Amino acid sequence: MFEILVYPGVAFIIIASMLYSGILRKLAARMQNRKGPPVWQPFWDFIKLLSKDTIQPEQARPGYNVWPTLGFVSVLVAALAIPIGGMAALSIPGDLIIVVYFLSFGSMCLYMAGLSSANPFGVIGAMRGITQMVGYEFPFLASLITVAVARGTLSLWNINFFQVNYGFLAFLYPFAFIAFFIAIVAKAEIPPFHTPTAHQEIVSGYYTEYSGTNLAMIELTHYIKLFALLALGVAVFFGGSATIWGFLAKTLVLLFVVVVFRVVLARLRIDQAFRLTWFFGIVALVDLVRVLL
Amino acid sequence: MPEKRPDKTREERKKACYHVPIGPQHPMYVESENIMVHLDGETIVDVDVNIGYMHRGIEELMQRRNYIQNIFLAERICGICSGIHSMTYTQCVENMAGIGEIPERAKLIRMIILELERLHSHLLFFGVAGYEIGLDTLFMYTWRDREHVLDMLEMISGNRINYAMPTPGGVRRNLPEEKIPEMLKKLDYLEKQCRYYAKVFQHDKLFSERSVGLGILKRDDVQRFHIVGPVARASGVRDDVRKNIPYLVYDELDWSMITQTGKDVRARVMVKALEMFQSISILRQCLKRIVKTPKELKVRFPLVIPPSEGIAVMEAPRGELVYHGRSNGTDRPERMRIRTPSFVNIPYSLPLMLRDQQLADLPIIVASIDPCFSCCDRVTLLDTRTGEKKKVDETFLRRLRDV
Repeated sequence: MFEILVYPGVAFIIIASMLYSGILRKLAARMQNRKGPPVWQPFWDFIKLLSKDTIQPEQARPGYNVWPTLGFVSVLVAALAIPIGGMAALSIPGDLIIVVYFLSFGSMCLYMAGLSSANPFGVIGAMRGITQMVGYEFPFLASLITVAVARGTLSLWNINFFQVNYGFLAFLYPFAFIAFFIAIVAKAEIPPFHTPTAHQEIVSGYYTEYSGTNLAMIELTHYIKLFALLALGVAVFFGGSATIWGFLAKTLVLLFVVVVFRVVLARLRIDQAFRLTWFFGIVALVDLVRVLL
Repeated sequence: MPEKRPDKTREERKKACYHVPIGPQHPMYVESENIMVHLDGETIVDVDVNIGYMHRGIEELMQRRNYIQNIFLAERICGICSGIHSMTYTQCVENMAGIGEIPERAKLIRMIILELERLHSHLLFFGVAGYEIGLDTLFMYTWRDREHVLDMLEMISGNRINYAMPTPGGVRRNLPEEKIPEMLKKLDYLEKQCRYYAKVFQHDKLFSERSVGLGILKRDDVQRFHIVGPVARASGVRDDVRKNIPYLVYDELDWSMITQTGKDVRARVMVKALEMFQSISILRQCLKRIVKTPKELKVRFPLVIPPSEGIAVMEAPRGELVYHGRSNGTDRPERMRIRTPSFVNIPYSLPLMLRDQQLADLPIIVASIDPCFSCCDRVTLLDTRTGEKKKVDETFLRRLRDV
């Protein structure tokens, strides 16, 4: 029970994911030659949003209030199944499928939230999000299947400890790793893939209409999704983790590269993003074919 | 991208579209304007540009203030090109009063302010362009460098945005000559940075993806609607008041007009990027020349102008700016007419550029003409009995002409 609720479970994941988003913002700010908010800013934002009114538009469809919380719960379940520092809260055989399923379901919940909010910006954002999802799920799944086939297991636990003993899978399957990395940047909607929430075009995309507790849940979903993706990257490709310190060090290295992406790249149009992600899907197939042969 | 259906007219297609309002409040711009976008999927079928949210009645206010007070009113028409507005106004008043020549030092100080203003306006534009395509880093960097230009303006005038430098007959303050070496150093730094930005705009792959071939404005359309400024120059039209009708001492200095043939967003950005180097060169020449001129700053201005008319044309950072005034023998103008570059560029060029483009490209295309909405709104009719608001359009003017 302690493992599920506290460490490495719910409490640890929520606090760490907020902290990671704070670090991301701070790092990006320093790279852009500005000071940036304190790393604890996501906490204050979250607490502030919880205390705000929650407004529901009159034309909103049923489910308007349900999707954000459902999204939060599903990415949390995904994060619980990923080994963190040699421990996993929910370690069962086949947890790779659970992680993949619930991460995608979490994104889908947010897009459904946009569709149910009866706002043109929300609808356009959700449509873009779904289009982009069709793009980035290909490299994401192709690279994960490569590792699963190569190790002959669907257990993240086994993949994690194989790497702890025998070294980084990223070196064995570099193409799959590159594709996977692009996919996690796209999945977390970090620039250049922030088309669904393009501020200058469609205000806040799918969550334009949301406020208060619902918005807090959506923000938390984003934080946990990024954290879960980084943790998955470490568990599957980036050497695995036997201790919490190794885990933190490796995820922070990945986070640093994500921040570099965020800082140096401009937003892609939806068709360009789609083409780019499918290109990297084909790159991942190179390794998959190699493994299958 | 959905295929185009040539069998339906644009008007018919418009009715079946998804209508998305961009503005009057929208994160794309801090100013308020409304662009009604008619969308077919992600493709823009047509746009309706509605301006008129920022009308402040400045031309009317000018008739109630005297010629000196109006300098500071003209300066507040625009927050970015405040200097060019006050200088064109003073030039217009000088023409009305028949003041032929102002001292050379005053001319040079005016030019230094104008070119510094062009630098900071263009740097601001690069930041906005980066922001609109989601490249926040470019925004942070260019606005950091823009601070150096503002520092230079503060050294000269004591102010960062509204400089209050010109007065009919000359300028109000002298340029502190002991600051010239420091300013030259800052110009060197800016030149280095501009070279870097020009390289980014020319060679950065992602920037090219989001700018080349977008928002095409044909040369014929430029001439038909008389589009002005960098937008016209990016379509290959040689339209720069500084060269075509030289004022101050532009014709005595060594610089060249920048034109591009791309006609697209990148061409407009490149025109501004290359103009920065010309501005820096003009500034260096002015600073070199000013130490040799006599210390005289202004000639006498009579305060009361006999009935006459005057016109002044200058090149603002966004294009040709026209002031046309008439005096009636008192100390205040009978009528001042202001035609700003954005007022020419926004309503006519935006629909031409935006048709059949993607929604995702709308912000950068709109930003590429560097619109200044506060400059835009001049005439709004308000019926005081019913409270009904009306914009003046072409048909209304035709009707007036026929009466």
